[in-house]
Amino acid sequence: MKLPRGRLRRSRVVTEPRDVLADVLDRGLTGYAVFESQETLLLDAEGRGVVTFADGVPVLAYHTGTDRGGPPALADLAVPGPYHVSLYALDAADLEPAHRADDLRVPPGMPAERLAGDPALADSTRRAAPADRRDAVERGGSTDDAGDAQSAVEAFLDDTEKIEAIKDQARAEARERAAEWEF
Amino acid sequence: MVEVFAVASGKGGTGKTTSTVALGMALSERYDVTVVDADTGMANLLFHAGLSDAETTLHDVLADDAPVEAATYDRFGMTVVPCGTSLDGFRDADPDRLREVVATLAAGTDVILLDSPPALDSRTAVLPVVLADRIVVVLQPTIPAISDGLKVQEYATTYDTGVAGLLFNKVRESESIDRVAEKTERYFDGPTLAAVPESERAREARRAGRPLLAHAPDCAAAAAYRRAADALTVREGSPGDAADRFRSAVVPEQL
Repeated sequence: MKLPRGRLRRSRVVTEPRDVLADVLDRGLTGYAVFESQETLLLDAEGRGVVTFADGVPVLAYHTGTDRGGPPALADLAVPGPYHVSLYALDAADLEPAHRADDLRVPPGMPAERLAGDPALADSTRRAAPADRRDAVERGGSTDDAGDAQSAVEAFLDDTEKIEAIKDQARAEARERAAEWEF
Repeated sequence: MVEVFAVASGKGGTGKTTSTVALGMALSERYDVTVVDADTGMANLLFHAGLSDAETTLHDVLADDAPVEAATYDRFGMTVVPCGTSLDGFRDADPDRLREVVATLAAGTDVILLDSPPALDSRTAVLPVVLADRIVVVLQPTIPAISDGLKVQEYATTYDTGVAGLLFNKVRESESIDRVAEKTERYFDGPTLAAVPESERAREARRAGRPLLAHAPDCAAAAAYRRAADALTVREGSPGDAADRFRSAVVPEQL
């Protein structure tokens, strides 16, 4: 995915991707967000996730480390935080060529639902989406049911290596804290 | 016999308290069940069990101001130990006394369900998972919820607590839950107990201050909770063993 460089609006470290998605929706940002996990253990050196937005509503998802787009990119992005996130604004016209890539598209509410685990935010995002994209969500949902499309959650669950890394990290943390907490 | 389950999730908003109370009610058809609000910093079990005016709560017991018996209430066929919501109560409570509370309760019941804090960031938050024999992990079929559920499991097993099973909650029709559950199970030490559909009835029940199984016993979500309870095999243990275990330090020595 090629995007023209946007105007940096915000750059910060967050623990929850939810905060970023909610912030973008509130601002009605047109542009993109770059997510970079601070947990290098779980990521390739090149691993950055990019989500583009039109008026605050997610359009595309892409992961530079895995070169996957659409729902699977959301799974690639879903590593434990904190993340370093940069938000860039772009004119709609500059995003338009990239937004023609149908294979990178995600339903409007999917990042909030699958990445942030927040159905309420997903609902407000869907409400903010243009009518033609709201319809697309429903089609996306039924495609999902039919098993034609691999959902972001399933793609996440198929990534055994990443899940084992999350488990290893949690075990190490639990052992370390047992000493600290005098269990 | 007594077995202690911590009903746990890594994040809030998964419907953990609704699930604890629903599982408790469903299990109470076969067992003597005690439900404890072990989320002492963000108590809300009392609102789910019609106990918002309870005078004595777990906070008083943990502050050593009342015996456990004074904070137990018989509601909906279960024994309920609610926690208070005041900050003062939280401040004065000594979480380590939870061990003693569980030991005392263990002597007179078959099943103890600990509604656990949705976090792993403090000693208080993790203690219920450490005290329990096994955890029930409440998950939504989302990446963050599953990922946090995995962390809870790894904490639990590191502290020698087993995994009784997974409870998918707030499941929407569009989510291909069978496939997600099957794939999720590969990474967990316990089976999927049930998938509970997202339910307006559960929200109504919470607003009415009644457990879901009392408010809408015939709804699909209530039926799913009953299936989950049926799938949960409660293990035999003697109250004496349990009491001793909880009174001593429960964490294995290799840590």
